[in-house]
Amino acid sequence: MFELSRYEGQTRVKGGVYLSIGLATLAALVIWVYPSFRDSMNMDELLRAYPEPMLQVMGIRTMASLEGFLAVELYTFGWVILLGLYVAYSAASTVADDVERGRMEILLSLPISRARVVGEKFAALAVPIVLVNVLTPIVVLVGAELIDESLSTVDLLVVHLLSIPYLFACAGIGLLASVVFDRTSIAQRVALGATFGLFLLESLLADTDYEVVGAIAPMRYYDPNEILLEGTYDPVSAGVLLAMAAALLVASATWFTRIDVD
Amino acid sequence: MAVIELEGLTKDYGEVLANDDLSFTVEEGEIFGYLGPNGAGKTTTIRTLLGFLSPTAGTARVLGYEITDERALIEAKRRLGYLPDDPAFDESATGREILELHAELKGDERSEELLELFDPPLDRQVREYSQGNVQKLGLVTTFMHDPDLVILDEPTNGLDPLMKQRFAEFLRDERDRGVTVFFSSHVLSEVRRLCDRVGIIRDGRLVTVEPVDTLLDRSGKVVRLHASDPIPREVLEFEGVYDLETTERDENGVAECTFTFTGDVNVLLERLRSYVLLDLSIEEAPLEDVFMRFYGGGDDV
Repeated sequence: MFELSRYEGQTRVKGGVYLSIGLATLAALVIWVYPSFRDSMNMDELLRAYPEPMLQVMGIRTMASLEGFLAVELYTFGWVILLGLYVAYSAASTVADDVERGRMEILLSLPISRARVVGEKFAALAVPIVLVNVLTPIVVLVGAELIDESLSTVDLLVVHLLSIPYLFACAGIGLLASVVFDRTSIAQRVALGATFGLFLLESLLADTDYEVVGAIAPMRYYDPNEILLEGTYDPVSAGVLLAMAAALLVASATWFTRIDVD
Repeated sequence: MAVIELEGLTKDYGEVLANDDLSFTVEEGEIFGYLGPNGAGKTTTIRTLLGFLSPTAGTARVLGYEITDERALIEAKRRLGYLPDDPAFDESATGREILELHAELKGDERSEELLELFDPPLDRQVREYSQGNVQKLGLVTTFMHDPDLVILDEPTNGLDPLMKQRFAEFLRDERDRGVTVFFSSHVLSEVRRLCDRVGIIRDGRLVTVEPVDTLLDRSGKVVRLHASDPIPREVLEFEGVYDLETTERDENGVAECTFTFTGDVNVLLERLRSYVLLDLSIEEAPLEDVFMRFYGGGDDV
């Protein structure tokens, strides 16, 4: 078991390390600019100048504390949006690319079920998803220390920990696109479109009569603001994200088992 | 024992009937050639046998396992090697990494021995491989777990003549060890060198299954001859000569001509012995001609 995951995981290490360095750099940048924002202007006044939909889309509550600033600039932007899109995009190529380039035939001639191919490829996405959550918290903690700001280490670690089920749920969207479309470019576009669409759906419908529709979006169940500003974590939300990821995985495996691989 | 059995296997794509009611068997320990022009439906049959495509109708068994039952087919795949017509491996991996993955998933009994025969550059990335090297790596992955059955789709694509010969010898040795080989080709000469029996497919339909000797007797040779003086026409009109076409002639006979010949070449040479020839070639008939000759040119097969 997991021979294919191990193989695919190894091929993802390099990309995962680069991604992780990129996001750690973003984290360093956000912390580096925070003191000049803090000292030179009243951040809450600045926020009042922003149009309301913008605040809503970005989930902005306050930027007058390092936690609030990080929640918006790093976690909502970097994790919820950028990484969410990245893993969906990346997952979209897992199956489709092998089919499109003719590699799937040799893989399926091995004594391995199609469901297992899908499952092991999905599991290999744990490599970038976990790697990206290792370097950044260290950078953030050291950075906060350097600019003399206090930050709850536990809250910070929880923000990263709970992003893992969130990112797997986004990867599940990409995976499903990857088995439904046998052309990688289409699968990737659909995965990006669907993930970003769900993000907009969730954030724009919040506090409206249609808020309930946003319940299908993974973004509903991962809120960096809540964790960093209020220190509240909701294990049920994490469970919902894992269930979403599992449902998307099962749907993808079932779909892939039933189609012709040409 | 039948290693591969097809029973009315049909694959209908709607606009194309790729395989139409195919039934035949491949016996244990034989080299079975699956012959047909490009686009005849050979690859569709192979992909259906391996479970990549589900048949529209009919069924087949590989090593005794139903192809429509995924679990059963996985059991068959433990004892089966497959080389696609255009094998593709992960381009960012080295040959060695690919062999390691295959070894983990299906076992490795003899990759060392195979690597002495077909020697792809294992430490290079596949993206740097030539087509021939990809094919060599594919041959190693196909045979490394010492399968009982190998399915090869146009296996000599991309191999140079020396490798082709080495491959042919290797395949015969495998057959002698009891391995069953099913391979597709559109090249008659390749099939005649290697196969015990041949199945011919055209437009998705099975035309015939027969021992290769029978097929060769029937398919004939293309003879081209150029004589210094005209040869009387009667000399060239005997049993086994078809489609005599002359390019240079006078009332005395023909000096330059081509024809299809299905008889004994010794008889032909005996007849030509008393004439001075400038040139003579006896070649295998092209596959298309074989089809035209024996199975008609249209759809009335």
